Amino acid sequence: MSSRRSSAKPPFPEGDRARSWVDAAQVRFAAWLRRRGPVHPPLTLGYRQIYILPTRFGWLVGLLLFAMLLGSLNFNNNLGLFTTFLVAGIGLLSMHIAHRNLDGVRVAGCVPGQTFAGAPLELSITLRDTRDRARRGLVAESKRLSPAAGVDLAASASAETALSIPTRRRGWMEIPRIRLRTRHPLGWFEAWSWFWPEHKVLVWPRPADQAPPLLTSGSSDSRNRSGDESDEFHGLRDWREGDPLHRIAWKASQRHQHLLARQFTRPERDRIILRLTDAPGRSLEERISILARWVMEAERNEFEYGMELGATTIEPGSGEAHRIRCLDALGEFG
Amino acid sequence: MTGALSPTTVLLVVGAFLFAALPHLAAMPPWLALVIVLAAIWRATVEVLGLRRPNWLIRGFLTFGGLALVIAHYGTFWGRRAATVLLCVMIAAKLSEMFRLRDARVVAALGYFLIATQFLFSQQLVLFAYLVVGCALVTAALMRIQRDADSAPTPVTDSPPAAAGAASVVRDGFLLMLLAVPFALVLFTLFPRLASPLWGMPENALDGRTGLSDEMSPGNIASLFADDSPAFRVSFDGPPPPRSERYWRGPVLWRFDGRTWRRLFYSNRAPERTPRPGPGAFSYTVQLEPSERRWLFSLDYPVRAPEDARLTADFELISKTPVTTLMSYDVISQPDFQDSVDLLQTMRRFALLLPEGSNPRTRAHAEELRRRYPADDRALIDAVLAWFNREDFFYSLETAPLGRHGADEFLFDLRVGYCEYYASAFVVLMRAAGIPARIVTGYQGGFWQAADEYLLVRQSDAHAWAEVWLEGQGWTRVDPTAAVSPSRIRDGARSALSGSQGWLSGEWLYQLRNQYDRLQNLWNRWVLGFDARRQQNFLASLGLDTLPPGVKAALLVALAGLVLVPLALLLQASTNARRRRDRLDRAWHRLCGRLRRAGVRPLIGETALETARRSAERIDNGHELITLAGEYSMLKYGPFRSETAVSAFGRKTAGWRPIARNPSSFNQS
Repeated sequence: MSSRRSSAKPPFPEGDRARSWVDAAQVRFAAWLRRRGPVHPPLTLGYRQIYILPTRFGWLVGLLLFAMLLGSLNFNNNLGLFTTFLVAGIGLLSMHIAHRNLDGVRVAGCVPGQTFAGAPLELSITLRDTRDRARRGLVAESKRLSPAAGVDLAASASAETALSIPTRRRGWMEIPRIRLRTRHPLGWFEAWSWFWPEHKVLVWPRPADQAPPLLTSGSSDSRNRSGDESDEFHGLRDWREGDPLHRIAWKASQRHQHLLARQFTRPERDRIILRLTDAPGRSLEERISILARWVMEAERNEFEYGMELGATTIEPGSGEAHRIRCLDALGEFG
Repeated sequence: MTGALSPTTVLLVVGAFLFAALPHLAAMPPWLALVIVLAAIWRATVEVLGLRRPNWLIRGFLTFGGLALVIAHYGTFWGRRAATVLLCVMIAAKLSEMFRLRDARVVAALGYFLIATQFLFSQQLVLFAYLVVGCALVTAALMRIQRDADSAPTPVTDSPPAAAGAASVVRDGFLLMLLAVPFALVLFTLFPRLASPLWGMPENALDGRTGLSDEMSPGNIASLFADDSPAFRVSFDGPPPPRSERYWRGPVLWRFDGRTWRRLFYSNRAPERTPRPGPGAFSYTVQLEPSERRWLFSLDYPVRAPEDARLTADFELISKTPVTTLMSYDVISQPDFQDSVDLLQTMRRFALLLPEGSNPRTRAHAEELRRRYPADDRALIDAVLAWFNREDFFYSLETAPLGRHGADEFLFDLRVGYCEYYASAFVVLMRAAGIPARIVTGYQGGFWQAADEYLLVRQSDAHAWAEVWLEGQGWTRVDPTAAVSPSRIRDGARSALSGSQGWLSGEWLYQLRNQYDRLQNLWNRWVLGFDARRQQNFLASLGLDTLPPGVKAALLVALAGLVLVPLALLLQASTNARRRRDRLDRAWHRLCGRLRRAGVRPLIGETALETARRSAERIDNGHELITLAGEYSMLKYGPFRSETAVSAFGRKTAGWRPIARNPSSFNQS
């Protein structure tokens, strides 16, 4: 991937001038949005953050109403006119309700989960009502993403919605601008707010599907070592010079007519160091992918593992936190 | 959104559609209505029982089959009835392929349109209920669809939107509709109307429910007798004319082919002279129900034509366009007027013309009458009327059709008939006797609504009478039916036919209908009759008519705002009411407000007691505050809570004020 990046097109090729204009406009638009008020969660949506426009269906209904208005006016049909105005009134109210449905909603949190490249990233968004009224059909969505399922909020309650963002490659990822929208009650108007989660997410490399088995026995660090009393009792052996006195098993020594010492061992685990240079693969990404796989396997087999990644060295260890540390290092590397 | 529809939603959409289509279904041929209802029920069944969805073949068959049925019955897609029936059929076909939210939305939104189109046919008062309920149901269906849309992707969260039940959605739909009513009223009153239409009315709107025809052949008027619907209503500026003078003049017929009476082309010219309104003139306003004809009705003799109508030489009023909506016009009629003092030679010839070789017995009888009264036309006519009265002529709807020599058969054999028979035979007899005569059709009588002071003329009041031209008097009205059955003229067709008809089961029902018509009259006058002119008058009465259009538009917006702001406040208040419903909390909130003004802010997450303890350090009467906070906690969280205790607590807190410490000690703390 990195090799592909190096061969990428220059920033503004001739044909893409229009595109660059659009980009520039988008940057300016985003800046304008940010100037209007808080845009990072946690934030409470107020009138400066809420935008509202008719939906496509809303426009369609508008057209229908216009036809009804014209027909009724032409034939001087007063009940037809009344119907038209009644539906128009309903539409106006629905606009107000759509706005009210979003007004005062607090985006209390927007926490990304952890994921490997290629798998969707779950962005968990916590919404809370601050105005003591029930909300309906709040949908989080982002550009080019399928919208999350709508959530309802009871009065003064909070609820969580999850937006899944596809990831393609490892490394730091910006979470796109999130749009919280509602089309309640009739779907004629859509009220929405934009916000940017402040988090950047580190996407872990995708573990390779196939990798060479972990080199446990060949590892030079793998050796037995005697432990102390805190470890479990292992057996007896002949006393050697230098063994502390309190390790002498006096009763047993009496039976065997010579001194025996109690021996303790720590249950020995395989200690391995995962090195980038050990991983086979044509490109850096492939090798990192294999390392990721090794990390997962080592953790599953409860090995103690460390990592050497170029200049970065991670001391051997195990456990969830250690695994995350290793995967983070892999994600960031390069 | 590509979400799936839930069964509840489908049922609601189908229900809303059926309700919106109800009056249309009633007006279309029953087998077509059956097809539509079956298609809707089938769609609902598929959803409820989870049957397999109809495939494209069935859907195509339904669509094109429906098209074929409509074209087979109406022969066209044009015309209001055919077009709306087509719309119903197409929506029913659409139901069979309504599996996406989008389709459901289109079907539901077209429900509004269906409701509006119904008013092209009728704007009866009862249909207002249909409007209101229909709009609420369609709105509820749209709400339910939106609920489905919001839960469209497979729910992954713990709290997917609760699937709202049909009942609660319908209630919400009604609520939304009711809240929109004030807005609709403002727009209705102030939205500018068109004084003249942008395009013409399509024909055939009234499904053959037309009023009086412009020709008369036996059975024409009788077909109206069973029609109890109102033809028009009249309100008089002064006292109404006596019952015997209530002849509402319509088409005047001259040409007779032995069977059918028709108008004369020459009648279309303007009258040579018109009456001058003098003493005894009637001034009145007629509210004409739509008839699809151009006839306007007036008492003898209208002084001038109302707007958009003209007056013919026979003193008929003809509207420029067919009357397709409720229409109101003002007329002044002068009864004392001599129509055509001199009869033109051409007109006299037309007024004496009879088909060759017809009615020999009538002719013979006429010659005999002429021999008896050689010069006195008046005496001759009286003799004929007396003859009608004396001999056993009867007034009845149950009569036999007439053959080629209709007048002969009627006058000498049958002698049973109604106004058409009498008028026709009488005019033939007059012409045979050499007296110029013609037939006038229209309405006679009407029901006087004493309480609201208007005259209700029904279709069943349709009537035909004769006019003869007399030297020195001009055209003179003669009603042969009156000679036979005076009660027909005195009390209306109902009394003359009492007992012979089944369309009214009792007097009380008739009374009820008359009472209902009073409501309908108000409705017509204030709602349906609210046209450009009336709106102008209304605005003028408010002094708004002279404003420039821009100001009017601004006013409209401002008024709409005036309606919306209270609505918004109402919504807000309903929320607040829920928040502040608890009197106990309210009392405590008030107290906290006073503390805040005294400089102590209750913190979020702090209990009442904590707030009180913290505040107590900063005010002089802190111990009281702590007591109050304790009481509050006891009442709120304790097991015993009585309304009297809450009231007592409210009274205590109401009188309590924090006493600020003197500044020096305040600074120390």
